[in-house]
Amino acid sequence: MAAATVRSASPALPPDDVLTRSSGRLRWRTGFDSAIGWLLPLLFVVALYPILELVYYISVQAVPTLSWTVLTSTNPVAVDALGVPIITTFEIMALATAIASGLGALGGIATAEFLPDQAAEVVRASANMLAGAPSVVVGYFGYIAFVLYFGWGLSYIAGVVTLSFFMLPYVFRTVDLAFTSIPRPIREAALGSGAGPSQYVLRVGTPIAFPQILNGIFLAMAIGVGETAPLVLTTTHGVLVPQSIYSPVSFLTALIWSDFDAGKVSGLQVVAFQCAFLLMIVVIALNIVVRVISARYRKRLEGLYQ
Amino acid sequence: MNATPPSPIGSGVAQPLPPPTPSSVAPTFGGRVRAIAYRIGPFVPALVPLAVVVGIVVALVSAALQANILSSVFSFHWNPPANQWGFGVFLVGSLLTAVPALVLSMAVGLGLAIASTTYLPRFLTVWLDPFVDLLAGIPSVVYGIWAYVNLTPYFANDFNPWIHGHLGFVPGLGGKLPSTGGTGLPISIFILTLMALPITTLLIRDSLRSVPKDLWESGLALGATRWEVLRHVALPYSSRGVLSAGLLGFGRAFGETVAVAMLIGGAAVIPTSFFGATDTIAATMFSLLDSARNNSHFLSGLADMGLVLFAITLVVNILGRRLVTSLYASEIAGL
Amino acid sequence: MGVAIAIAVVLLLVGIGGGYFLNSELNKKSSSTTIQLTETGSSLLYPLMNSQWGPAYHAVNPNVVLAADSTGSGTGQSSAEGGLVNIGASDAFVTNQPSVLNLPVAISAQLIYYNIPGVTQHLRLNGTMLAEIYNGTITSWADPLIVAAQTGHVQQELNATAGHQIAPLVRKDSSGDTFLFTSICQMSWAGWPYGYGTGNLSGTTWAQYTGNSGMASEIQTTSYGIAYIGISYEGDTGTVPYAAIGDNLSLSKTGGLDPANYILPSAQNISYDANLGLSHLQYATDQMAINLILGGSYKGAINVPLAQGGTDPTGTNPDPYPIVNLEYTLIKLAPTGNVVTASALQATVLFLQWAISYGNWASTGVVSTYLSAVHFVPLTPAVMGYDQQELAEVQP
Repeated sequence: MAAATVRSASPALPPDDVLTRSSGRLRWRTGFDSAIGWLLPLLFVVALYPILELVYYISVQAVPTLSWTVLTSTNPVAVDALGVPIITTFEIMALATAIASGLGALGGIATAEFLPDQAAEVVRASANMLAGAPSVVVGYFGYIAFVLYFGWGLSYIAGVVTLSFFMLPYVFRTVDLAFTSIPRPIREAALGSGAGPSQYVLRVGTPIAFPQILNGIFLAMAIGVGETAPLVLTTTHGVLVPQSIYSPVSFLTALIWSDFDAGKVSGLQVVAFQCAFLLMIVVIALNIVVRVISARYRKRLEGLYQ
Repeated sequence: MNATPPSPIGSGVAQPLPPPTPSSVAPTFGGRVRAIAYRIGPFVPALVPLAVVVGIVVALVSAALQANILSSVFSFHWNPPANQWGFGVFLVGSLLTAVPALVLSMAVGLGLAIASTTYLPRFLTVWLDPFVDLLAGIPSVVYGIWAYVNLTPYFANDFNPWIHGHLGFVPGLGGKLPSTGGTGLPISIFILTLMALPITTLLIRDSLRSVPKDLWESGLALGATRWEVLRHVALPYSSRGVLSAGLLGFGRAFGETVAVAMLIGGAAVIPTSFFGATDTIAATMFSLLDSARNNSHFLSGLADMGLVLFAITLVVNILGRRLVTSLYASEIAGL
Repeated sequence: MGVAIAIAVVLLLVGIGGGYFLNSELNKKSSSTTIQLTETGSSLLYPLMNSQWGPAYHAVNPNVVLAADSTGSGTGQSSAEGGLVNIGASDAFVTNQPSVLNLPVAISAQLIYYNIPGVTQHLRLNGTMLAEIYNGTITSWADPLIVAAQTGHVQQELNATAGHQIAPLVRKDSSGDTFLFTSICQMSWAGWPYGYGTGNLSGTTWAQYTGNSGMASEIQTTSYGIAYIGISYEGDTGTVPYAAIGDNLSLSKTGGLDPANYILPSAQNISYDANLGLSHLQYATDQMAINLILGGSYKGAINVPLAQGGTDPTGTNPDPYPIVNLEYTLIKLAPTGNVVTASALQATVLFLQWAISYGNWASTGVVSTYLSAVHFVPLTPAVMGYDQQELAEVQP
């Protein structure tokens, strides 16, 4: 009885030739899908052409004028001598990275491992707030707190400390993430075997999370080296490598900012392009390193779960 | 096949490591000091970010209150010699640059993310995706100098007149074409779009990737095309990711400082024409701090703008991050 | 993977170590007595400080290096007052800062540039026209007031621009050039609402650019634009022409449209104006606070009387270019803080003594190449004498 009802209720099958033809509606749907599949990837061209143009233009402006002399000359009165800015940028980055990494790593480990949950959430939120703060706001903090209130003046130390606070949350977040993403079984195995807190952190956690921590440091460096506002607002221009913590300093991003609209007579716009070129190379290199390490790290983390 | 690890982050379930109890170490003075150090110690470095955020607010508030300018702050008049410190103009300017940049970067980012996750083969996306993410790494001064030297002539001679000529009927695009040498809103919006693009693309891409394979496959098995699965299944599923992409992209565009300072031209007015001169909060703060040295009124005027800027970016970023905690967050640790 | 990390770490350490090693090597090479004098402020004075005097003085005295920065006169004034730098450069004197000395080191001028397609000649402009343009009262280059002052050929070219708006360029930073420009506007036109000062144009609606370099860069690409730019940037403005400036009597029926009343900024004409103004200097009451702009009077400044018809009737200074100023360096009278140390202050005094003597005059009657490179005019002997007097007051 049921079979008869089903058979009489279902519509008759269409003849064979209809089944092999696509209906108009289906053709439109699949056609639309294919069209989108060709159009959207073209957006990549739209999105990537500007950066190619940027790299090309800056290279063309800078490379013909660069030479070993220009890169290493520390002559304080020459127009085009990048030795001092390069070394000073190095030093500022080294110091700022050291401070940011130290505080950031310690803070990240503490948040991931030692803090009670609510405190950890508050701290994580504040790190996110700091990372999201515009660079000019951090620069103002540095100016008001260090240049004015602490009385350091427009100096090397004010710039370094302000920059390190700008870089801090990136290391903090990466280290925090690294330690919280250590697989639970490994953590529990270590603790269950009798590891104390410092033993766990030093002997189990750090070796596993080390690539991620290093990644965070490189990421912070990539961001810090390209920053202008925190440093420009807290320092004044100098022509020698810093001789004391209160020295004036010259560094790559500041040179670009002050010389980008310079005229032909002074020949300073060329210097701006050279600095832009060097920055571009450093930043691209650091970004590639970060990406390679994080890709390898993800594979390793996946391996830990097997 | 990709084995994605079980959600490892922010689980918050793992108990924090227990500090050694006083009885577990020798009850000597040194032992008790160590025990206390273990309890308090972790808080010290962990509180640094919090201390800095509080410090920012304290510094800005104390600078803003230094001089009595409160009466003129909530207005649309910025005229330092006349002691008028209204930030309204710059707020409008910031919105005029950030909102169009957001719309454009969301549109393009959506398209790129869809193309990358759904339509392009793996061997292409493996290098195209990092390429787009590289856009985020270029320092903003470098964007600024490139645009200032290479692009402003194009905007002055080709783009602005073309838009003005063909779309002049739209309010704001018509009237007399102001002459700015290429600087101003159009070029600033363009650069901000480029800077916000990697963020929106990354977030939407990640949220689309986190759509479970079962949903995709069941949709396709029912005879839907890829586009239809996207539209009816994947995008609604990842709507939180898309929303957070919008918020974080907006935060980036709103707070962008140096590139805008180089390209916006700058004038403390709400422009009557899309091609006229205006200024943003971040760019004004950056380029005028030098003029505020030793001048407490000026510093107050700039600092109160900083508070507005900080508050807005804070809200936007917190909301944006809230929405992505469920995603594999290591990708965006750098954002 | 481990290899990649190892390489990365090694590079990091090499980078940091290398940087510090190089730094200590370099600091050993430059003797520990190298004094770095920081100078900030006026962008008009910047090319002279950075490209001319800095290198020249370093060659003479290798222990001293000048680090110049271009941030605007207002910043120069406040930085000097706050002890943030050794030398504050300003195109305008300061009268309310007792701990700081106004020391003029050169005489410079301001030019008015305009970018009108088709116009390559020197337009004739005066203070009233400039004031009305920047106030928005005059909106087009075809305005009758401007056209009336030009020659016939130029009149035609200007009338052809009737449909286009003038685009005035303004300085965004606290600028001595703004001070000079607003001064001449204030003096020339009774309806000028903005007063005069380093930041007085920030309430206008015009596009603002940072530094003389920003103005020079933008005027080349802003059609129908007008900009006030210091004379030391003359080479950076490309093919954009500047105006011959007249006084307001040249508009009147008596002065008429006599082209002789519109003066071009040559070294000779700048000197005429400087002589005219400085002849009224009374050091005892005003120290070196003197305004050299032709016409008008201010609190604390010397009144340079508006000469009849724009020219000097006595004939010794017949063609004074109206927008001329002294370039001031502001220094502290006594050491203060980390930057203005006793040794730095002493070095500053020595440098400024060199600047006002060898920096100005190569030999008797011969202007130094440093000043002529930036189109500045040297100080008069009287001013040099007053400067020496002021420098003697400094107590390092």
